[in-house]
Amino acid sequence: MEIKETAMAGTLESSDIQIMLSAGTNGYEFELESDVAKQFGDQIKATITNVLEAYDIQNAKISVVDKGALDLVIKARALTAVQRALGIVDTPNWEVM
Amino acid sequence: MFTEGQAVSLTDILTSKEVRSARQTKFQAAYPDQVICAVKLNIPGNVKTNAAIVNIFVDGWHNILATLNQDGYHVQHTVQYRELATGPEGFIIVDGSLSVVKKVMIELETHLPLGRLFDIDVMTQGNATQLSRQALGFSARKCLVCEQDAKVCAKTQAHTYPEILAVIEHRYQQHFHATDWDQTHAVNFAQKGLLYEVSLNPKPGLVDPASTGAHHDMDVFTFIDSSLALGPYFNTAYQAGFNFNEADLTQLFAQLRQHGMEAETAMFTATNGVNTHKGAIFSLGILLGATGYCYRHQLTTLTHLQATVKAMLATLITTDFQGLTTKATLTAGEQQFLKYQVTGIRGEAAAGYPTVFGLALPQLQKTTGTLPQRLLDTLMYIAGNTRDSNLIKRAGELEILTEMHAWTQQYFDLGGSKTAEGMAFLHQLDDQFKERNLSLGGSADLLILTIYTGLLTTMI
Repeated sequence: MEIKETAMAGTLESSDIQIMLSAGTNGYEFELESDVAKQFGDQIKATITNVLEAYDIQNAKISVVDKGALDLVIKARALTAVQRALGIVDTPNWEVM
Repeated sequence: MFTEGQAVSLTDILTSKEVRSARQTKFQAAYPDQVICAVKLNIPGNVKTNAAIVNIFVDGWHNILATLNQDGYHVQHTVQYRELATGPEGFIIVDGSLSVVKKVMIELETHLPLGRLFDIDVMTQGNATQLSRQALGFSARKCLVCEQDAKVCAKTQAHTYPEILAVIEHRYQQHFHATDWDQTHAVNFAQKGLLYEVSLNPKPGLVDPASTGAHHDMDVFTFIDSSLALGPYFNTAYQAGFNFNEADLTQLFAQLRQHGMEAETAMFTATNGVNTHKGAIFSLGILLGATGYCYRHQLTTLTHLQATVKAMLATLITTDFQGLTTKATLTAGEQQFLKYQVTGIRGEAAAGYPTVFGLALPQLQKTTGTLPQRLLDTLMYIAGNTRDSNLIKRAGELEILTEMHAWTQQYFDLGGSKTAEGMAFLHQLDDQFKERNLSLGGSADLLILTIYTGLLTTMI
């Protein structure tokens, strides 16, 4: 699967993670920002990688700002980002909420 | 306490974060020169709101605004969303620079009694990323349970959910003194209020263990008898509030009045017909009923207690003072209303006891020294700042209030209860009161209520 458009999920609130996906050409290119990157950087990347692989995405630029999110939050945000990037779900219009 | 309520899903929680983030962006566009603070709680688990949680939020919200106000920050706009299933939240839009406001919020998160349960995000137009604590020279936020970095403990799930909840609940109880509001404590505090008051001496014109003051039909033993006779009433009043299930709180007051009349009979039986505690029966009954009600609804703060009292007494003044002119026998308070338009204890009660909550309690908190010293200073402060209907009745003229105010002023100028001069003046005043047949029954009642509420909030 190819990423059609740049998509984002998540926020910069504590305990959350913001994941931005855009089209890539060279496998998974991560850019990770996290206060706990040293201890958990690999784990965060692995969780997101699992989701991307599940959707059979081969190339992606993945920009991540982690604010101490739990694994299940990372997974959920990654899922949403992927679905938005693939145009599977409508990007919600927050203006109306 | 924190597990009761409607559970929300992870999706709900994550969506709420995105909605909040979008709101924040909108506020940034609307207030490009201001700083936007998003205030919310970080309660773990899938129940994100209930009475206790909203309580924490409201308490912290008021503290945040009070601090901003105190530090001279101009708040442009505030909006609260208290009813969200994903937890109460709100925005505060304030003039100032991003880093300075962020520092204020970090201090609040660190130093507010329940600040650890708050997450305050601070953003401004044109700053895509949030300022981190570390960027401003603060250490990373500490875990609720241990002293480690909170993010590390969260990621590794170092603590179990019950363990974290226990810590939150403990802090909640500590802050809101919730356990002190149960029936046993509250009734005990009411009786302490009566017994502390009568034991305190010297009190101008009032009964104490050393003197019967300007009273000829009672002594300290009469008061002990009366205090103990009211125990069952205090329990009944508390339970009435605890069990009250209707929406209209004036109905609770109607119930309490009925119980209060029975209590007056019990008092007169115990004292052989002497009125020792009629005022206290009225007011302590109201406060105990309100305490039971607040405790049951997990609203154990003075703000809620006062609001409950006001709601209970919403129609008191209109119903009590209507048609007085045609009433055959009038109480002292009713006579004074007709004569001087002074609403007395009814007015004080209906307004939510502003003398107790707004004057006497802050004064009590400020006082230092031994318990009797603190209570004497509080009593004199009350006497100088209230229209004591008992004093007016005995003096037969309103001018006595001006005199009382001057006496209080002199007492405090002399150093109050902690100086020999202040105490000598108090003894002298007591003699003068006896001579002129004056007493401070109304102020004594308010002191009883101040002791009661002071005990509820561990000020004493």
